[in-house]
Amino acid sequence: MSQIRIVRIHNELLGTYGDQGNAEVLEFRAKFHGITANIIDVSYNDDLPTNGDIYLLGGAEDAAQLLSLEALQRGANLETLHFAIERGAVILAVCAGFQIIGNRFVANGQEVDGLGLLDVISIPGDKRLVGDIKTTSTVLGFELTGFENHMGRTILGPTAQAFGKVITGHGNGDSKYDGAVNGNIFGTYMHGPILARNPEFADLLLTRATGRKYAQITDPLALKYATWRRKVI
Amino acid sequence: MRLKLSILIAKLAALLSKKFLRRSGETIAGRVLLALYPKAITELAKGKKIICVSGTNGKTSTTKALVTIISKLGSVATSPSGSNLERGVAAALMNNSEFAVLEVDELHLSRVIEEAKPKVVLLLNLTRDQLHRMHEVKRVADRWAKSASTAPDTLFVGDIDDPFVALALNSAAQAERISFGGRKHQDGAVCPSCGKYLKWVRNNFKCSCGLSNANPDQSFEAGSAAYRNATMANIVGKFLGAKPIAIDEKSLERSVDQVYAGVKANIRLTKNPASWSEALTSVTGENAVLIVNSREVDGIDTSWLWDISFAKLSGKRVVVCGERALDIAYRLHVEGIEAEITSSFTEAIAKFDAGSDVHVLAAYTAFYELVNS
Repeated sequence: MSQIRIVRIHNELLGTYGDQGNAEVLEFRAKFHGITANIIDVSYNDDLPTNGDIYLLGGAEDAAQLLSLEALQRGANLETLHFAIERGAVILAVCAGFQIIGNRFVANGQEVDGLGLLDVISIPGDKRLVGDIKTTSTVLGFELTGFENHMGRTILGPTAQAFGKVITGHGNGDSKYDGAVNGNIFGTYMHGPILARNPEFADLLLTRATGRKYAQITDPLALKYATWRRKVI
Repeated sequence: MRLKLSILIAKLAALLSKKFLRRSGETIAGRVLLALYPKAITELAKGKKIICVSGTNGKTSTTKALVTIISKLGSVATSPSGSNLERGVAAALMNNSEFAVLEVDELHLSRVIEEAKPKVVLLLNLTRDQLHRMHEVKRVADRWAKSASTAPDTLFVGDIDDPFVALALNSAAQAERISFGGRKHQDGAVCPSCGKYLKWVRNNFKCSCGLSNANPDQSFEAGSAAYRNATMANIVGKFLGAKPIAIDEKSLERSVDQVYAGVKANIRLTKNPASWSEALTSVTGENAVLIVNSREVDGIDTSWLWDISFAKLSGKRVVVCGERALDIAYRLHVEGIEAEITSSFTEAIAKFDAGSDVHVLAAYTAFYELVNS
């Protein structure tokens, strides 16, 4: 595959915390592997493209999160996502986006059903969790860094696996684990954007999306940046 | 009597701080005063005509412009160092004056309105900024709207092209709604009033709940943030009986010219996506130094750098420095701009030959260090 389609979902709603950069980093890393990436921006009124290889969701404020959920439940959008998962597409959902793809969450004091793509539920905690976060990921085998800023307490069901074990920070609210993963579906509370601070994770998503192994990228600045964040947090 | 004594002690503290610590002394004076006399703001505001200025960007320069405008009418107290929390407000009010023009932090505006009972509040804009502290734009907007609804004697003047300002003005008993012909807002996808997807037609919004920038009390041509803020400062001045000042955009930008070993630097404050985007439009030359820090007032995280397009810098010589030089360097790298990374501003500016012009876009803490050194 020399072309991939990166679908950036509802950036006008889920773009309050720089997570839109995840798409740019994927596109940038893809170039090193000789892959041409197309970023497809899908807004609230649009239908999701059925042929995406990577679907991205970012962080949002409560009202925006509810609007995004409503749009994703509209028409054939949810079916599109289920079909995408079946054909091996990747989903990366951050913060509010992570809650949206779970089973249930609370926003603006309202408890709602999520998309049910990850077996998690999220409820608001009593304190906002704000600060640098570092985890070690069993799935990836390396450390991840980012920044968290949320009220969520996320509880994993039996079919979801924790994405990272917390070294510094709070993650899902228990200060033990961050995010959840099931196959190619990833959820996390890490902003940064996560793929900018952890470029190896971007490479893994590209591998998962295309089913191909790629040679390691030589990008000294990316490495220097990632290594420095891992050292200081 | 106790208030007078508290002021005296506060002033003494300021004097000591100035003499021995070489600080402005205003923050410490306000701190001491509020500790000794918690109701100081309420007491000192009595008998003064108070004007508050708040918003994400442009508070300091607009406050300065308003002081110039109002000073033709009588004595004006203000806090010139941009100390905009309660302590800065208290310090500014310590001196006798007819008027007080106060720059007030967005999150602290409610309390200042409640205590100082201002005659006029000028709301400039509200966008994402220091989210580790503000948490959400909507949270700040809700506070503004709530305090506007509980201050019936205060006139709220603001730019309703910003949906969050429009919401606050809709909640006020007295409002002067200004429009500059509409403008896209980066955080304006959701109606801050009802939570629906906000309907935008080009640069104008109109929600089914009624929130819109249509039918302003006064409308003006579109222009830079500095021009908009000066225009609104003149409107506030006019309300109080003052003649308008000529709008000099250059003097209203938070920018300072300095020369470093022959290198002519124009230093501009950049602290969030909105102020960066505004500042980037002013980069006309070939050289730029970008300084990114992450102390409390800068915002302790840098994720928001990815909400800015730096395409304007493409093809220019870009040097970066600051505590988060690597963050900005990598963000530029992914946008196809290769910056030179340096470890200090001194090293960064020394990269340029004497006689060259350099745009310096500086984080809040860096800006203050450079301007005050």
